[in-house]
Amino acid sequence: MTTPVIQINNLQKRFGEYQALQGLSLSVHQGEILALLGPNGAGKTTTINCLLGFLQPDAGEITIAGINPQHDVVTARQQLAYIPEQVALYPRLSGIENLAYFSKMASIDKTDEAFRTLLSEVKLPSHAVDKPVATYSKGMRQKVGIAIALAKQAKALILDEPTSGLDPSASHEFSQLIQSLAKQGVAILMATHDLYRAQEDAHRVAIINQGQLVDTLVYEQLQEVQLESVYLKHIKVGV
Amino acid sequence: MFQTTLKKEWLDTKRQGQALWLGGIAILLLLLACLTGFKSHQSYQQAVTEVSQSEQLRWLNQGEKGPHSAAHYGIYVVKPTTPLAALDAGLQAYQGNVLRLEAHIRNDSMFRSAQDSLPMSRFGSLSPAFVLQVLLPLLIILIGYPLLAREREQGTLKQLLASGASPAKLFIAKCALLFVISCLFLLPVALFLLYSQVTNAEPHTLRSGLFLLFYLVYLLLWSLLTTTLSSLLPTARRALVALLTIWAFTTLLLPKLAMNIATTIHPQGSGQAFQAKLESEVYTEARVEAIAQFKQQTLTQYGVGNVEDLPFDYAGAQLQFGEQYADKIFDRLFSARLAQLEAQSQSYQLAGMLTPFIAIQTLSMATAASDFTHQQAFENAAEQHRRMMQEVLNFNQRDHGHKADGHYTAGEELWQQIPKFAFQYPNFVRYLPHYVISLFSLSFWLIALVLLSFFAIKKLRLEEQR
Repeated sequence: MTTPVIQINNLQKRFGEYQALQGLSLSVHQGEILALLGPNGAGKTTTINCLLGFLQPDAGEITIAGINPQHDVVTARQQLAYIPEQVALYPRLSGIENLAYFSKMASIDKTDEAFRTLLSEVKLPSHAVDKPVATYSKGMRQKVGIAIALAKQAKALILDEPTSGLDPSASHEFSQLIQSLAKQGVAILMATHDLYRAQEDAHRVAIINQGQLVDTLVYEQLQEVQLESVYLKHIKVGV
Repeated sequence: MFQTTLKKEWLDTKRQGQALWLGGIAILLLLLACLTGFKSHQSYQQAVTEVSQSEQLRWLNQGEKGPHSAAHYGIYVVKPTTPLAALDAGLQAYQGNVLRLEAHIRNDSMFRSAQDSLPMSRFGSLSPAFVLQVLLPLLIILIGYPLLAREREQGTLKQLLASGASPAKLFIAKCALLFVISCLFLLPVALFLLYSQVTNAEPHTLRSGLFLLFYLVYLLLWSLLTTTLSSLLPTARRALVALLTIWAFTTLLLPKLAMNIATTIHPQGSGQAFQAKLESEVYTEARVEAIAQFKQQTLTQYGVGNVEDLPFDYAGAQLQFGEQYADKIFDRLFSARLAQLEAQSQSYQLAGMLTPFIAIQTLSMATAASDFTHQQAFENAAEQHRRMMQEVLNFNQRDHGHKADGHYTAGEELWQQIPKFAFQYPNFVRYLPHYVISLFSLSFWLIALVLLSFFAIKKLRLEEQR
């Protein structure tokens, strides 16, 4: 087994009286897709914000490619790419301008041609490349988000509800892109409510509830079980 | 990162259009203000030259008369100005530009242009200093309030930071961008100063350099404040409201309040009352006694029984004694008034700790030589000239009056002994002690805002935790 790219050990986070994370431990290896399932308020987004260094955990440790975001947040962030549910882009800038800006701000400089190639790799229609992002569909914005991640050559990709609101074909296209990134060796952590996509795409599924890991299913188990029934069983238990 | 931010903001702004219009209007206003300032400075300079020349001619061509009659005939001297006064006329309109130099009395300046203006003109005046001190900060706010706050609202801030952009570099790039844009508005001012350096016989290099430097610091303060609040407050709307409130308080309300407090703590009587006090303190019984004593001393010194037996004209000597007697009273009363005005000025400057507007207003007028301290320098120099003039005329009367049979008169030869009044402002470094409080408060604001920026950058690192 290789060293995990994303390592979370005994993570704890409290917001006032509310204990959001209660000793969560997780790891994602190179080339692995880990789907993080859980109901609203289970602690998925809190975990992601701790990984991104936007929240300071109360206890526990995180490393991304060996770097602890609590100690060196900028270098840790440079190791990963993040695609939220709504990829935030500048509406008046075109897809290629957004890609170039985000990349350059992360100290990644490429030629215009290289950025165009990346957008074509993520299958952004060529007629849209130079149009303002305000005219893009959600799926097209997600593709620009993937292109930003590709430009970074990030070791880890963190996705927060990436397929929410996508039509089935866009969701399928997105899934293919994710899998191709995993094949390139990127460790992918995908927080989602989409049980179908989790079962289809993930190598492992982690179910969390009330800030605790309640079950982990590996690829082989995923082929044999009905994920929905396992999930509902745990959530019911959690409730 | 600065270049990338600049390019992105330029594209974004260009496509939005609104900020470009705003900037265009501001530059136009500033150019207009510079032009009107330059025009009024030019006409004032021309008036100074014309009046000085005509006064000199009037003095020289006054004809044959007694020296004391010439002392009462008097001359008018006009306060010169620096090219920077075209940018900041300061208190010029309220202080008076002309002084009448004559025997027995130290006059106050007269011909305050504000007295000749319609009351409404106070509200309509658009000087470059007003644009730089009041309107430019407003423009910085209007351009800069969304720089980070809107990014937060759009989600792009989190996206940017998550992609590995350094919060410190991002903050500095945004702030630098705002500062550079604000500096573009200083360009017409810098060009004007350069032009005046090249074309003016007295270039005022130090004053021009400091004038620009103080405004650069002032614009940096507003850029830092705007970026910091845009970074700290959760929404662009809240950032705008907070910044506009601060702007209204610091540039409009607090300076007025500070001035009212300063004049209440250190009250100053009217000019007419002061002149009346001067006369009542000079022309007293004590003066009559002092003159009688002087006469007795003189007679004793020369061992004579009456003034006709003195080897000089006693009238000239007594006139000079009277002048010196009055000068001591003038010095005492003017010093007291000056101390009161200086205390007023220091109290007002102290309020600069509450608003950098007061600091820049004070330093701007100071470098432009259009403030109270520079007015005093002119009035003191004019008073020295008046005293020298009285001395020359009185001594001439003393030395030659007795030789004439009856009425002694002098002519152009004597008038020429009085040099033309030529006042030049001393080096600005000599005035610096008057502005220590303002220099300190401008530095204090800079340090405070840099520290606040560090705090904002620290908060940016933990964007989600706010």
